[in-house]
Order: sequence, then structure tokens, then C-alpha cells
Amino acid sequence: METLAFMVIGMIVDLSLILCVNFIVKNFLKWSGAKQRAIELLRAVLSVDQHHQLVQLGYVDISGPQDQERIYHVPRGPGLVRVIEKESLTMSLCLKPLEKVPDADIVVMHKLMLEADEETYLQTANRFAPLCAG
Amino acid sequence: MQWNEQDTQAGDAEAIAALREAERIFAKESARGATAYRVEAGKPAERLEQFDPQAVQIIMVPRVVEG
Repeated sequence: METLAFMVIGMIVDLSLILCVNFIVKNFLKWSGAKQRAIELLRAVLSVDQHHQLVQLGYVDISGPQDQERIYHVPRGPGLVRVIEKESLTMSLCLKPLEKVPDADIVVMHKLMLEADEETYLQTANRFAPLCAG
Repeated sequence: MQWNEQDTQAGDAEAIAALREAERIFAKESARGATAYRVEAGKPAERLEQFDPQAVQIIMVPRVVEG
């Protein structure tokens, strides 16, 4: 009787482990696919020069449509968007999607919003004064 | 989602189904607070208020908040 109980418990533990590993692997594959699609989308959305800059310097310059002298430095990974005006850092901005998305999708998000809806972007983003100018 | 505008006009069932699915995603994500942008190579992105079946590419950005 005791042996049977151990066998049943063992089977339940095994089944739970299999389901758990299956869940982790499925989510990992899903996330990897999303990251790959995001990288491809980013390549399609950026110009060749912008993509080169992103790879080389870790950020991409987006010109402000309302003021061409205002440049937004959008980072490749997580971080603040730096606003450069007349070659000086004037402020940093933080804006993020409510959903978890790959880093490349966040770069696309900043680019699209800054180009098409700069005013809403500036109204929504949290602003930080520059720690050091230059 | 991808579809060929000419195929939809010609009544191609597959192209029409893809177009309907894209419209459905557009409406669903817009209702969740996402914003749509029309993207075309060499042109700045443009905000889309309504689904445009003739757009070269539409990208939906999920709702954003200050960080």
C-alpha cells in the first residue's frame, strides 16, 4: 500500500516537472521568436545609416520633426532617451510600453512616436534634468 | 499579416481573409490603447487613426506610460 502511494506521488511529481519544463521551453521559444522578429522589424524601419549608428554607438539619432536642431539619442537597450539641443544635453526622457516587448521593439516605438507624434511623446514621457551638460 | 491589394480587389479569398484579420487586429489593439503608424521606406512615420488597407506597412505600438 505504501509502495503504491509512493508510486502515485512519484508520477504526480514527474508529470508536474514535465509540464513545468514544457511551459518554460514554450515561453522561451515564443520569446526568442519575438526577439528575432523585432530585430528584423528594426532593420526594416531604420535607414542603413541609422542602423549602422545603433550598432556602432549603441544609440540612434532621431531628429525632432518640430525642431530640426533637437536630436533624440534613443538607446539600443533599456535606458533614458537623451535630448540634445545645440550639441548640449538638455534633458533625459523615460517612456515605456505597458507590455513587455523586446528591446528592438522599444527602439522602433521611440522612432515612430518621435517622428509621428512628438508632442504626445513629450507630454507622456517622464523628464529628468541632465546630470551633466555636454 | 500580409496581403496584396490587387488580389483583394480581384476577390482572392486568401487575400481578403488576411485583410479582414489585419483589420480585426487593428481594431482589437486600438481598443486596448495601442497606436497605429503608417511606415514607408524613406518617409517619416505617420500616425493612423483608421485602418488603411492601402498602407505599405502598419505598425502598432502598445499603450505607453511614463517610466
